[in-house]
Amino acid sequence: MSSHTVEHLEHTESPTDMKSQIWKTFWILLAFTLVDIALYFVLDPTMFRNWVFIILGVVKAFFIVSIFMHMKFERKFLAWMIILPMVLVIFLITLMVVEAKYVDDHVNKDSVAKPATEESHDTHAH
Amino acid sequence: MANSATLTTDTRSQWGGGKSPFSISYGKLMMWIFLLSDAFTFSSLLVSYGFVRYSFSGNLETPWPSPDQVFNHFPFLHGMHLPLMFVSLMTFILIFSSVTMVLAVEAGHRMAKKEVAKYMFLTIIGGAAFLGCQAWEWSQFITGSEAGKLLADGSIFHGANLSMNEYGPVAFADLFFIVTGFHGMHVFSGVVLNIIIFIQVLNGTFEKRGHYEMVEKVGLYWHFVDLVWVFVFTFYYLI
Repeated sequence: MSSHTVEHLEHTESPTDMKSQIWKTFWILLAFTLVDIALYFVLDPTMFRNWVFIILGVVKAFFIVSIFMHMKFERKFLAWMIILPMVLVIFLITLMVVEAKYVDDHVNKDSVAKPATEESHDTHAH
Repeated sequence: MANSATLTTDTRSQWGGGKSPFSISYGKLMMWIFLLSDAFTFSSLLVSYGFVRYSFSGNLETPWPSPDQVFNHFPFLHGMHLPLMFVSLMTFILIFSSVTMVLAVEAGHRMAKKEVAKYMFLTIIGGAAFLGCQAWEWSQFITGSEAGKLLADGSIFHGANLSMNEYGPVAFADLFFIVTGFHGMHVFSGVVLNIIIFIQVLNGTFEKRGHYEMVEKVGLYWHFVDLVWVFVFTFYYLI
């Protein structure tokens, strides 16, 4: 048993039906892209539609990484080593969304809504 | 219980030296590390795109343009309003070339030299087709529409460059050039790498070596390029 495991360590195993898995993944990616295009024309440009696009993008990325890039059949430790740092990007996105909202509120809307003099008066009062 | 015991010995022998604890070769591991760092670069580019775009949402003087007003052209169909069609074609080309790449890897496992060569060739064609499409897209974007934009001094400006464009804020064109340009550069280097590997396959280099692992490494890179395009497509053209 142990010699059997050692034999397989250097080469990660591929499933025997790899070819059918590849084509299955291709059809999934194609279908999701077509859904993207359909939703683009069917739905109005709202935040909801944006979230649908982002989720579909992440699902497509999952299929590319797990099947095409063979990650599904690698050791779990390797998968976590690659995926975990990418999860931290969500933190960066959150920070930048907050910052962008600040810029939008204080640069664009203030300059349109309030006259410049009132703005300067406000800051002096504080 | 017996299961956990075998797991412990298994782990100890893995980290004891002499073999890769990830059970993949050094070259493939380093390719993964490189792709991780490259993914950070693309993430920072796309996050800065999101930042700039969001910070323009309340700007009424120079509003951010809607993608279907800018990218609505298709070759040989001049003057028709066809948003998203050309870029969808580009997406299909890249997905398909990713499939032929992974089929080349699969054929490499079976040591089928002819099949590897065939699929590598198809992948190169797909990559070249994508680059051609991108060149056309860029030239459309740079040339601009016939109407153009009326400037304050009464002259009309067509298309886009790094300091001016007819579509909207300066940052819109700048980010388009850097994001799609950086991705296009990756596709280009991927095609060059694929050509090198293709020639080596034809020369029988990997047949002599006894394995087609180089095809796998280039394949990882190629799929990554496809992966990045999924997000460029989502954030630049859909949202």
